[in-house]
Amino acid sequence: MTALLLLFTTAIVGLFAGLTQNRSLLQPIALVGSLLALAATFFDPLGWNDRYTSMMQFDIFALSFSGVVILATVLIIGLSGWGFRNLNDTLGDNYGLILFSLCGALCMFSFTNMVMLFLGIEILSIPLYVLAGSRRDNLSGNEAALKYFLMGSFATGILLFGMALVYGSCASFDLAVINEAVSGKAGGTGMLHVGILLIIVGLSFKVSAVPFHFWAPDVYQGSPNLVTTYMATVVKTAGFAAFYRLFSLAFPAAADFWNVPVTVVAALTMTVANFTAIFQTDFKRMMAYSSISHAGYLLLAILAIGTAGSERALLFYTLTYSLATICAFGGYMVIAEKNDDSSFAAFNGLSKKQPFLAAVMAIAMLTLAGIPPTAGFFGKYFLFTAAFAKAPWLIVLAVINSAISIYYYFKVIIAMYFSREENAYEASLPAGVRWVVLAGMLLIALLTIWPGSVHAWM
Amino acid sequence: MSLLLILIPLLTALFLLIARPAGARTIALVASLANLAVTAFASMGFVGDGSFNHEFSIPWVAEAGINFRLGMDGISLLMIVLTNLLAPLIIFSSFNRQMEPEGRYYGLVVLMLAALNGVFLALDGLVFYIFYELALIPIYFICAIWGGQDRIRTTLKFFIYTFIGSLFMLVALLYVYLQTPGTHSFAWEELVRVQLDTNAAWWVLLGFFLAFAVKMPVFPFHTWQPDTYTTAPTGGTMLLSGIMLKMGVYGVIRWMIPLAPEAIHCLMPTFMVLAVIGIIYGSIIAIKQNDFKRLIAYSSIAHVGLIAAGVMAWNKAGVQGGLIQMLNHGINVVGLFFAADMIERRMGTRSLSEMGGIAKSAPKFAALFMIVVLGSVAVPLTNGFPGEFLLLNGVWNYNFWLGAVAGLTIIFGAVYMLRAYGLTMFGEANEQTARFEDVKTNEWIVLGVIAALVLILGFFPGMVLNLTDGSVNRILGAVQF
Repeated sequence: MTALLLLFTTAIVGLFAGLTQNRSLLQPIALVGSLLALAATFFDPLGWNDRYTSMMQFDIFALSFSGVVILATVLIIGLSGWGFRNLNDTLGDNYGLILFSLCGALCMFSFTNMVMLFLGIEILSIPLYVLAGSRRDNLSGNEAALKYFLMGSFATGILLFGMALVYGSCASFDLAVINEAVSGKAGGTGMLHVGILLIIVGLSFKVSAVPFHFWAPDVYQGSPNLVTTYMATVVKTAGFAAFYRLFSLAFPAAADFWNVPVTVVAALTMTVANFTAIFQTDFKRMMAYSSISHAGYLLLAILAIGTAGSERALLFYTLTYSLATICAFGGYMVIAEKNDDSSFAAFNGLSKKQPFLAAVMAIAMLTLAGIPPTAGFFGKYFLFTAAFAKAPWLIVLAVINSAISIYYYFKVIIAMYFSREENAYEASLPAGVRWVVLAGMLLIALLTIWPGSVHAWM
Repeated sequence: MSLLLILIPLLTALFLLIARPAGARTIALVASLANLAVTAFASMGFVGDGSFNHEFSIPWVAEAGINFRLGMDGISLLMIVLTNLLAPLIIFSSFNRQMEPEGRYYGLVVLMLAALNGVFLALDGLVFYIFYELALIPIYFICAIWGGQDRIRTTLKFFIYTFIGSLFMLVALLYVYLQTPGTHSFAWEELVRVQLDTNAAWWVLLGFFLAFAVKMPVFPFHTWQPDTYTTAPTGGTMLLSGIMLKMGVYGVIRWMIPLAPEAIHCLMPTFMVLAVIGIIYGSIIAIKQNDFKRLIAYSSIAHVGLIAAGVMAWNKAGVQGGLIQMLNHGINVVGLFFAADMIERRMGTRSLSEMGGIAKSAPKFAALFMIVVLGSVAVPLTNGFPGEFLLLNGVWNYNFWLGAVAGLTIIFGAVYMLRAYGLTMFGEANEQTARFEDVKTNEWIVLGVIAALVLILGFFPGMVLNLTDGSVNRILGAVQF
């Protein structure tokens, strides 16, 4: 709760500070505010986390996931010195919108009532529709924003319809009451099942799971790089944590029913996304499909609901995935924007010119591919172990898919280290980006050496 | 002690890769020699009754039963000796070529050393898996950065191929892990204790086999190997053939068979037949090769096929023979690749048809090379002999016909090795081979050490056999089927 209030305050302060002429203050304000919020997920001296328990509850689940997304946002704000360098009049609005959107994410971790979930999703999404189109003079940015908005509202509609049906069946929006009603039904009624199915569809849109993923590559590609980073990390984490929380608190009794569609969606998501990613020549589109394929692995955590350790697996995976993605985008952003080339060829010969940046990108790619001993491996390991009993064959499929994913992640490594072509691209790192990727690498190293840290956290 | 074997090279590697100091080659050589000293020290107080010496254990993810646990019995120690004995030779032999940037090359080689030691020391399933995969990353970079023609495609194929194989092992390992009682554990003893039903054991055994068969490689999973060996820089080829493929054989002895003995009767005949096919197939193709490096690559398939067959026969002679032969094959194949590299550096070609008559202009080289070739052919009183003898004995005990077919390897081996030796050393000298420069001092050291090892281990195979005797008895006794 404290974190939420702090973020909200910072967003408003940022918004008003943007009106003044002194724009150099904006980044420090946003940074300090979100760092305070991050601290507030660990310490709660005023005991505010236990208030307002009827609609939202900041339990350990909510606090840990809030920690992940706030940390990701801190890093993204660190990148913003470079990412937002061309914004002048709208700089304050951009920081404000990111922080407002983050408030929505926090609601999605802490809800105990479906209304709150819906509000959280909307608070998260609406600022993002604006952010996606924040380059007003850019055609593909406008296309991305419009596509995101249409698809997003469509998904929200379906989600709302599903919630209404669940309400009709259980006569409440409160998760505990719904859980009781669902377990009392022993098998459930048709209305409940249709409701759950529609909720799955709605959430699948939000987390870009196949076959509801078509918006993602265009939106990722068209949005400003920093916004894409935010979408790929914070929004994805928020979507899955909300998915997990809703299904583990409200529908565990109907698991036999919803396991089937979730399994199918997971299998489709990882396979289709991986095979499409192979054929991409544009780094950002590759990362879009990579992010979809990670959604497929993350769905395993939803399947594993009820298994000990599934929450931790989700937490660890979203954390490592976010860190690696931010590092990868941080490096990409600089290279692509300085040289106006977003293809893999932009990385040719980088290891000779910028060994540090090349090493960062390589470790990020190895982490995303889940290659031991990187933290990405432990993420996959925890997920696979948690879901193994539920669907062994799905784990085998996931394993094959992780091997396929090497092919496209390694394109970057091959370009950086093995390509004998060298392009004359400018590749020096701005200080902000350097610090962010360094912090990201240190955190990944920490998670690699001490994967048990997640147990200490949650 | 066990930890030191991993930490020294790991820290050296990080230093070389991050700080990129001048004189990287010397630092790497010193680190590998330090490791050799630690190995010697560890083997002095060694208790060979099959228990784990020098054990080291700290919790890693304690709640999930994952401990960073290392230790060595005779089998591990033998592999450690192999690794740390060959590593200085491999590093030293790379001095003959310019590897730019140097810090990166030697850093990766030393990192590889850390991973290999980890594989052979790990007593925790997940730790084993992690080191097994970690070994793949440096060798991939070594082959892809400093490799020859078509290196990017070849090495990516190699990487994905082996990675898929090991992922199946991960699934099998996970399955066994989830059958352990309580909050589960990856400890070797716990995993061995699990009783699987035959059906489950069948899948587990298959998962492990895919990983190790790709690594060794066993026919028909070998297709990555000749290309990779030929493309890789010689240092990388030596690491791959001398040490890395032993990870597969070691995995069979330590993990595959002890973890899923329940299905051995269903699958082992197939595995044995595949291994024996590999022997014949590798030999026949080796006879036809004109590229010297490719010839050694195929001969390696044949030799490893025999080792795999002997080990999977799972009797005393077979396992003991497999162990001693792993050491000897490592020494011999590094010697062969070193000789091949010497010729290639001087003549700029690997094609056997363009050679001949080198013995006249380089008699010292011819003599040393002869010893290595004889060891590889398994002539009595060289190191290859006791191993092949025991291996054939083991396969023979398993099945007479398989033993008989596998025995052809002795004839084939003599044919392709002596043919290669004859084509390079004897016959008419051409313009280039007439000017062939004899061994230089640093080459003398490498080839001399290898030739000495060939002879010493040929005269006193008992040293090695005694080392592993207790452990082999124990592991054979522990696995009942």
